[in-house]
Amino acid sequence: MTSMHDGHDGHNTFPVSSKVSEFEILELAVRELAIEKGIFSAEDHRRFAEWADGVGPHGGSKLVAKAWSDPAFKEKLLTKGTEACKEVGIDWLQPTGTGTPSDYTFFYVLENTPKVHNVIVCTLCSCYPRPVLGMSPDWYRTPAYRRRMVNRPREVLAEFGLHLPDDVEVRVHDSNQKSRFMVMPMRPDGTEGWSEQELAEIVTRDTMIGVALPDPKVRVPVPAGEVHQ
Amino acid sequence: MANPRFSIGDEVTVRDETTLFHTRTQKFARGRTGVVVEHRPEWVIPEDEAFDRMETGRKEPFYVVRFKQTELWPGYTGQSIDTLESEFSERWLVPA
Amino acid sequence: MQYATLMERVRHLAPEERNVLDSPYQIPNELYAALRSVLHDVGGQPDAPTPYLEKGEEDWEMNTYLTCECLGWRGAWNSEMRRRAENDLGATMYFGLPYYARWITVAAKTLVDKGLITTDELGQKIDEIRARLEARD
Repeated sequence: MTSMHDGHDGHNTFPVSSKVSEFEILELAVRELAIEKGIFSAEDHRRFAEWADGVGPHGGSKLVAKAWSDPAFKEKLLTKGTEACKEVGIDWLQPTGTGTPSDYTFFYVLENTPKVHNVIVCTLCSCYPRPVLGMSPDWYRTPAYRRRMVNRPREVLAEFGLHLPDDVEVRVHDSNQKSRFMVMPMRPDGTEGWSEQELAEIVTRDTMIGVALPDPKVRVPVPAGEVHQ
Repeated sequence: MANPRFSIGDEVTVRDETTLFHTRTQKFARGRTGVVVEHRPEWVIPEDEAFDRMETGRKEPFYVVRFKQTELWPGYTGQSIDTLESEFSERWLVPA
Repeated sequence: MQYATLMERVRHLAPEERNVLDSPYQIPNELYAALRSVLHDVGGQPDAPTPYLEKGEEDWEMNTYLTCECLGWRGAWNSEMRRRAENDLGATMYFGLPYYARWITVAAKTLVDKGLITTDELGQKIDEIRARLEARD
């Protein structure tokens, strides 16, 4: 089956009806009224924007690469997720000091094994671990993904090009409360002796959602050093 | 609230209670039986938080429940070993 | 939008349902249960495979995310209120709007509901900004 996933470079045409978007107008209206009335400040908005600009899948990639390279860190990541995140520069309490309003501070990493493959979905909205993966992909938020990932996971995974053996348990995590999840894929063969930086480059966003597996031939650039939030 | 009522390994059934306006207990889970696999910290239940009662809302322990997919979906087309996990506040669970 | 144009658009929304659901004198319990069942709970509903697209955030979408989070940060609402308010939109709006359009619509609604802004303030601000942006383009 060919993949229905158009990849990271998909440029599709999404028609917009008129030159000034009423959504843009409404957002500005809400923001300006909120600032005028002192509900939040322009500085709050700027600070949150700066944080949002710094988060992305590279955070999760670094976590997984470090866990693959360091068994003690892996243990910490699986048992104390938010604590482990600090070691790569991700602080779940940012940017407000108490975490983001939508992501909370309960982070759990789901380890894939030869017998269990994990995948995440939020059927009720689109809960997603933004501090470690950034903004969710558009398809993750669609009713189509939310409807079918829970009761037809193997079909949906096949549409992403992922065909799992019958004897691997597919474990769907419907993220319906305050917990946020990320999948830790298995380290693939052919990566022996790789540095953490090299490993991070094959841990793509989709492998941490659980709709793909790392492929040593598919690498996405990851900035070196700590995550800056 | 004191100690969690359910332990890891307990079989629990999700209550099928009438819900108006808002809930985070999915229709597909209601009346279905699974196993408690993790405890989660106490939080304000979403039924209160959704109506602006973050400060005064009722707090309860939450649980991760693992279901066999064949329990959730009659005619499930995957493999019998497949599972689904989701979380529920204590009020939604009864011993199986 | 002109009234006639708007009405023409509304007329075409779910036209096959119009005779059945046009403020009927009576409906059976089963239909009431279906109509009031919580809207966002879509898991397991029948659907066909759909291409998984990567649209990417437009500026207004990212700004909507930021504005909604700032409203939560400073206590005007919480995220669960946003999700509930999205359900309150009703099926036509919930499924008719793009993802972040749902967010910004209910942000405005919640501020009005809470008495933090009034509908006339909101309407005037919208008209003022529309004029500003149209002059820009």
